[in-house]
Amino acid sequence: MKGFAPLFKKEIREQLKLYRLVIVLGVFLLFGLSSPLTLKYLPDLLKMAGDQGMIIQLPTPTAAQSLASYAGDIGQIGALVAVLVAMGCIANELKSGTAFIILSKPITRSAFVSAKLLAVSLTFLVSMVVASLVCFAYTVWLIQGEAVLPFVGLNLLLGLFLVFCLAVTVLFSSLYKSSLAAGGIALGVIIVQGIISTLPVIGKYMPGKLLDWGTNLLTGGDKSYWWALGITIVAIGLCIYFSQRFLKNRDL
Amino acid sequence: MTAISAKGLSKYYGPIKALDNLSLEVPENVVFGFLGPNGAGKTTTVKLLTGFAHPTAGEARVAGEKVGDGNLNLQSKIGLLPDVPAFYDWMSGREFLHFVGELHGLMPDEIKQRTEELLELVELKKAGNRRTGTFSRGMRQRLGIAQALINRPQVLFLDEPTSALDPLGRRDILNLILRLRENTTIFMSSHNLSDIERVCDMVGIVDKGKLITVSTVEALQKKYARSIFEMEFMEDTGSFVESLKKIPWLVEPAIVTANGAPIVRVRAVDIDRARKELPRIISESGLTLTRYELALPSIEEIFMEIMTNGDKQ
Repeated sequence: MKGFAPLFKKEIREQLKLYRLVIVLGVFLLFGLSSPLTLKYLPDLLKMAGDQGMIIQLPTPTAAQSLASYAGDIGQIGALVAVLVAMGCIANELKSGTAFIILSKPITRSAFVSAKLLAVSLTFLVSMVVASLVCFAYTVWLIQGEAVLPFVGLNLLLGLFLVFCLAVTVLFSSLYKSSLAAGGIALGVIIVQGIISTLPVIGKYMPGKLLDWGTNLLTGGDKSYWWALGITIVAIGLCIYFSQRFLKNRDL
Repeated sequence: MTAISAKGLSKYYGPIKALDNLSLEVPENVVFGFLGPNGAGKTTTVKLLTGFAHPTAGEARVAGEKVGDGNLNLQSKIGLLPDVPAFYDWMSGREFLHFVGELHGLMPDEIKQRTEELLELVELKKAGNRRTGTFSRGMRQRLGIAQALINRPQVLFLDEPTSALDPLGRRDILNLILRLRENTTIFMSSHNLSDIERVCDMVGIVDKGKLITVSTVEALQKKYARSIFEMEFMEDTGSFVESLKKIPWLVEPAIVTANGAPIVRVRAVDIDRARKELPRIISESGLTLTRYELALPSIEEIFMEIMTNGDKQ
């Protein structure tokens, strides 16, 4: 991991200089705010828009509903944003030639890959923490309810799922010089594992199951998916390993 | 000592032989010019010698280190300027050099000092705080050279170092290369023949992936010397030419006219003997010499001859 510290410092600066943190934070905040607001004011909006004679009965919104809705948005749109943000992180450097200069220095390929993944993961995790706090505060303020511990658990699982999405994207970004190809294939892999996670028997091993586990925590369900958790962590490690292997074995 | 050594280095892309069986020894502290037309295998060779491409066959050592297998000691001892240097557009030139110094594990004080020295050297001091995204091609080339020098490399690889420079910039970079020769071995690939002639001690000529010849510039010029001497005098040279005809190691002495002036031209069978004895013969003739020249070929002429007829054995 020689060279990790300066590479990581540079990656963090890049997240700020290229406004990646601002963009991701903005998107996540949008979801953090919109979930409790929509749940709270949807009945009023429908009342204002609807026919005078029509009566629409909506159940009283709960805190769990608000937080689960936020988690659902982050799990889907957040994964897409993760792919969009990370797809060029190595591919663009391979294409532009900056990787050629940087990798001519005495640094390991694993430091190069890990610094990128850690920096972009921090961008997403920081954005998620801020957006989650906002969502939680608005939910408590507008809807009431207590679900602090389950919500923390949900966020940890959600965060791990997003890191998995980022790791898959970084892996394909080290394979292709085209960021679009890297992003397209990474998105395909994430969608396919998401579909498989809905299937019986093998579904419980997929990283996508972490989202179901998080929602279960909120709704008081007792289903947990430890296999999915373990496999996600191993998959992230494998993505880093193969990414640096691809970089080592390819001609630049 | 040998700075660069390659044995049977080859790189094939399917049926295409980008580099075929390159064997090469470059001594320390010389400027080695690697000449060849576009697509000859110059950049492939640089990539193989710096560990950025994996050879199909053969092996190489640079600065005493084996090339390949992620040998970080090698990267500590070399500097590399790619043919098209690229930087992070959001960084300034100064920040980039600082970053590269950190990657080399230099101490903060040394990084600061080295950054300023190099910015001065490549004349980017004033533009040091400008984002590299706003740099011209020439400025990028200079910054590329500066980043390659930050670790005081033992061996410096320069892939087409003057390709993007204007005549003044080109002159400055060539002067810089000459200064660096004292402590550094420089492997410089180029298709600019006048640059090679100006700064290189040794030349390798490559074509279609094959190394055709390796030699010192002097030996190459001697090998391809046309052994023709040209002389101009103030007086009539008829009797002098007649006397030259009697000398067995000179052939075809004649008076030719170039730019309206009569010139004595003679070919030497034994060029070394002619170099030693012709000045004495001229002196004994009592004529007033205004020009005396052994028509040595330029690197360009040698290159063209090799490309057309192959290497002389």
